[in-house]
Amino acid sequence: MATTYPHGTHKSADDPHVLLDDEYGQYEPIPPYPPRTERELEFYTPGDGEMYLNMGPQHPSTHGVLRVVLKLNGERVVDIDPVLGYLHRGVEKLCENADYHQTISQLDPLEYISSLFCEWGPVIAYEKLLDVQVPRRAEYIRVLSGELNRIASHALFMGWFALDLGGLAPILYSFIERDEIVEMLAALTGQRMLFNYFRIGGVNGDLNHDFLSRLGDWMSRAGKQIETNLALLNENEIFVRRARGLGTIDREAALRLCMTGPNIRASGVPFDVRRAHPYSIYPEIDFEIPTRSEGDSLARYLLRMDEVKQSLRIIDQCLEQMPDGPIMAKLPRLLRPRPGRAWAAIEGPRGMYGAYVISDGTDQPFRLKIHDPSFIHLQAVGALLPGHLLADTMAIMASLDPVMGGVDK
Amino acid sequence: MDRALRSRLQARFGLELHGEIRQRNDETELRIGAGDVVDVLRALHDEPAFDFAILADLAGVDTGREMQVVYHLWSQSTNDWLRVIVEGLSRDDPRIASATFLWKGAEWMERETYDMFGIVFEGNRDLRRIYMPPDYTSFPLRKDFYLADDSARSPGAGVRHMERTHSPAEAGEAPLRSGTGT
Repeated sequence: MATTYPHGTHKSADDPHVLLDDEYGQYEPIPPYPPRTERELEFYTPGDGEMYLNMGPQHPSTHGVLRVVLKLNGERVVDIDPVLGYLHRGVEKLCENADYHQTISQLDPLEYISSLFCEWGPVIAYEKLLDVQVPRRAEYIRVLSGELNRIASHALFMGWFALDLGGLAPILYSFIERDEIVEMLAALTGQRMLFNYFRIGGVNGDLNHDFLSRLGDWMSRAGKQIETNLALLNENEIFVRRARGLGTIDREAALRLCMTGPNIRASGVPFDVRRAHPYSIYPEIDFEIPTRSEGDSLARYLLRMDEVKQSLRIIDQCLEQMPDGPIMAKLPRLLRPRPGRAWAAIEGPRGMYGAYVISDGTDQPFRLKIHDPSFIHLQAVGALLPGHLLADTMAIMASLDPVMGGVDK
Repeated sequence: MDRALRSRLQARFGLELHGEIRQRNDETELRIGAGDVVDVLRALHDEPAFDFAILADLAGVDTGREMQVVYHLWSQSTNDWLRVIVEGLSRDDPRIASATFLWKGAEWMERETYDMFGIVFEGNRDLRRIYMPPDYTSFPLRKDFYLADDSARSPGAGVRHMERTHSPAEAGEAPLRSGTGT
């Protein structure tokens, strides 16, 4: 009986139960077709003493499904060529074929570490198109849940970064923090990861007792607990000496690479959308934008940890100032914004998330462009890496904190 | 809304502009042709009066009749987002100059736009597909590319319902959803 096998497997002649790799199943670093561009030709022409190494797509520290072709000279990385697309869903096309409410749940899995932020940008853009005034209580709830999500994301960053530098303990501690926040948000939104919580004109549900009691419980010890976790790394000499000077990028280069968020603030550019171009209720809230000038991995790490402290301040103020009132604006169920274009950007834990929407007057967006910071920062790895050791590849990548769901869209 | 930005842009780029500068919410929008993109972007980036140092986004748009490339810029000197729409690219052979001479980070954004729309950015050293496999031949975000299960084209079924809309989005443009409906 003739059987067809998927690419990558064929049966051994000796034992039909043994599946062997054939030529399709192996990832050769050098592509089997002629170079398509100038840069590809340059990359795949080895210099003296240079070799190629394929890393991924299934590699324990690529933070998702990412393949990177490394060009090595000895153990020094000369250049890299990331190969993307393993998680590509075509979310922009899916959103063009869904109505405005449905797009929110399509967008969630983009940023599976901090889902609220990839909902937030498009929701603001839709509200601009519709000229909706969001109730103040809803804005406060958005900021409150968003900052919680930011802390969860930064906590996970701390664990990942240490893991990629070879430290196994911090991720266990960071997962404790993250898990508490995630359970808290689950009490608020009903989901642990893909929250689907923001709505056009408000949020899906009001604050409930379960959420508030968990939050109060956590807030009473969060500051101290985070300090304890930080002491684990900040006072670890091996970690600090390893991370210092790793993947340094200066201010001008960071701007040219379109970097945003903590990564550009670690290079001395105080660009934070919450202050640079305020949205929601951030103008009313008192917090600082931590900035550092070193531009290396340690600075990026320390800056994120400073941001966690600022987020705790924001949460405190949100709880203090939380107004009463409705959590949803009054809107028809079927939304037909008038034709036009809108852009909204927000500050997420990884940088600036943007959404560009074009409406043609129907109930579906004519075009929805998602700008994801992970995509930009993964590109920057290519500029940071040359000259570093092979083992630093993943450490530098982790210090920029990309999430492959957002990179591949 | 920053009225001053509007008059400054009008004074500086009066000749290059297509139509009026529009402002809505916190966005300022100007339209130019593909030939002027290098000059306009360079002026916006370099001149101290504008100082648009941050390229926030680069997006391709297929209106059904023509291709557009849209840049979103941010500057310290204004409290508006600036949207530069480069319009009038032909759908058969869309070509535009690359912005990588100002922002190296535009390289991947242009690769993505090329991958999804087939817009060729002249001057980009690495213009190959980024998401789709190298032997792929379509441009998925074009309006004449339908989803396999696109219920829009099956009458009476699915989520796209009730009406076929042919509302001109903006004055002077073609009906946007020219391909939908039966």
